[in-house]
Amino acid sequence: MLPPQPQPRRGPRGDVVAEPLLEVKGLSVDYEVGAGTFHALSDVSLELPAGHVVGIVGETGCGKSTLAHAIPRLLREPPARIRSGEVRFRGMDLLTLPKWKLPLVRGTGISMVFQEPINSLNPAFRVFDQLAEAVRIRKMRESGQAPGLVPGSEGFDYSKREGPKPADALTRPLLPSRPEARKGFSRVLHRVDFREDALDYLRLVRINDPETILDLYPHELSGGMRQRIMIAMALSEKPSLLIADEPTSALDITIQAQVLTLMKELIEEIRTSILFISHDLGVIAEMADDVGVMYAGHLVEFGPVDDVYEHPRHPYTKALLRSAPNQYKDDGPLPSLPGSVPNLSRLPSGCSFHPRCPLAKPVCSDDPGPVLEVQKGTAAGHEAACYFSEEVAGLP
Amino acid sequence: MTEALAEVRDVTKHFPLTQPLLAAVQRKSKDVIHAVERVSVAIGPGETVGLIGESGSGKTTLGWLFARLHEPTSGIVRLGGRDISHLEGSALRDIRRRVQIVFQDPVGSLDPRLRVWQIVGEPLQALERLGRSEVRDRVAALLPTVGLPAGSLDQYPHEFSGGGRQRLSLARALSVQPKLVILDEPTSALDVAVQAQILNRLVALQRELGLSYLLITHNVAAVRYVADRVAVMYLGKIAELGGVRDVLERPLHPYTKALLAAVPAPEPGRRRTRYRVTGEIPSLVHPPPGCPFAARCPFVIDRCRTEEPLLRIPEGMERRWVACHRAEELVDVRPADLLAAEPVSGSDSAAEAE
Repeated sequence: MLPPQPQPRRGPRGDVVAEPLLEVKGLSVDYEVGAGTFHALSDVSLELPAGHVVGIVGETGCGKSTLAHAIPRLLREPPARIRSGEVRFRGMDLLTLPKWKLPLVRGTGISMVFQEPINSLNPAFRVFDQLAEAVRIRKMRESGQAPGLVPGSEGFDYSKREGPKPADALTRPLLPSRPEARKGFSRVLHRVDFREDALDYLRLVRINDPETILDLYPHELSGGMRQRIMIAMALSEKPSLLIADEPTSALDITIQAQVLTLMKELIEEIRTSILFISHDLGVIAEMADDVGVMYAGHLVEFGPVDDVYEHPRHPYTKALLRSAPNQYKDDGPLPSLPGSVPNLSRLPSGCSFHPRCPLAKPVCSDDPGPVLEVQKGTAAGHEAACYFSEEVAGLP
Repeated sequence: MTEALAEVRDVTKHFPLTQPLLAAVQRKSKDVIHAVERVSVAIGPGETVGLIGESGSGKTTLGWLFARLHEPTSGIVRLGGRDISHLEGSALRDIRRRVQIVFQDPVGSLDPRLRVWQIVGEPLQALERLGRSEVRDRVAALLPTVGLPAGSLDQYPHEFSGGGRQRLSLARALSVQPKLVILDEPTSALDVAVQAQILNRLVALQRELGLSYLLITHNVAAVRYVADRVAVMYLGKIAELGGVRDVLERPLHPYTKALLAAVPAPEPGRRRTRYRVTGEIPSLVHPPPGCPFAARCPFVIDRCRTEEPLLRIPEGMERRWVACHRAEELVDVRPADLLAAEPVSGSDSAAEAE
């Protein structure tokens, strides 16, 4: 059963606004381990409109990867526990979806590229097997031979497609049981049917000599090549949403530039939306339309990337931008942030950043802490969670 | 220039690959990895030399050669004017007191079962044969200089954050009062905010103690901040060498330009550009003839593919070395020129609409 259709969204003037592709509302995730309860995500809300690239930036342990894994529900529960919140993807609440339906959303609905390609590729299978399998699953889903969510309207042409419409893909049983239900199923497709498609996707990610590469095992490839194969696999599913969790952090800098350039070209070619997670402010600046800054499990600032970088409205964003050595121009010490990230099992009261904040006042330690608020005098959609956001511009 | 503190001259390091049995029986010559190929660099007293390049370029091998953790296949390694290329045993242990190394991985390089005083004091025990109480006293005095509380003597490494562990590593290197510290990617495992703390501490320590550093990194910004001179390595060879401002502001070698163009800067307006250098780093087992960068270089000419460019002083310049046939012609090519001039078409983000 699909959940009930949501009410049409109303804009500020009461007009109907397009539903964002992905909407995360008040998501809180804990890890319960022997040492205590770690609050990895606290009340995170964000929206990702179709066709946009949203970047998430923050230091190690700020909850970036937990967010990336929580959206397609890839967290291992336990130890993870989703305390509260909603993840609405194309109108469905993924957090209430029964577990057996999740594989139907993953792949063609939400696809992921992880940080370490060597850990995500199966060492026992050739590139061909892994890539053709992804193509096979998508083709079977598109033709209705296998249940699964396929993109409905984001720039793909489904008018010629036979079989059930995407909307009822989730309600269909995994395997047709009765003979009459099997009628539409000509035969189960096999990977070998998709060699040509696999070659096309290798060419798409600009791999030279794809015929040779296709028959190699992951360990025979370089890091940059493996990551491009991961991207090819993710894209071959033609997902509505691609979640890229530090996709270039393990790569060399010139190879990283190549992969980023490629991803930018592909975004335009196939119009997929991306949630791009990175600790590198420069990478986010190159890739994202909007950026969310995370600190200790909280989203502390969100807005158009240029505006956030030029006019940060949260003291943490300001400090993060200042301590990037790329910004270093004059003599004298690099500006650095005193103290360290708080322990997620013992978060400070109120605003988690207040013990390190140059603007902190007594009110900052009062519960509940500040929430994201629209910032006056900045670009539309720029929000920050700080009582004294007006004063951030005055910080050195 | 005054006497160099440490120096490698024409140094080469090959690592033999394991050979299939049949090839060994047939006495075929062994394949080797050409990790470092005829490299010469000197580090002056109190100077910081940055060594940048990508993985597989031989930076770490060169650092280990300076510290004599590797023995060179050919060439000379000098420390304080003395040839240390093939020292062994106690003579080698003597020079360890003067060259120390901070390893890249702050988790892997600290024994999880030892306490802080044992880790930081291990060089003191090994090289100076101090007893337990003396070691504890020395370590307690040392910890504050790297920004750690003296009271953490009995803690274990897992109780520290990434930055804290890197400080422990640094304290261990400084414990025997070396003259030269090899910093192998000291900040690449750390977050930006912590990176800045460590880099500041390194610069302050250098001023206090008159240390020399060899800073091995792929982080161009860290080199700009810490180093006096910089060497750019590609495929086991030095592509360019010179003052840090000269090299980073007016790079001569196309690879240096490409490297600088590839650094993603958190500056709005540089987005959605195409990067023009493609291709992968060639094999170190069978390095190509001619210039190692020829296969990826946007300015390649036929000569580059056949004749290897040697490291030379370009005409009309001082204190700069470059290994490129076309360095003089390309002086005016800026790194930004390696990004396609036109933005990727069809971008219609909200940010650009403003």
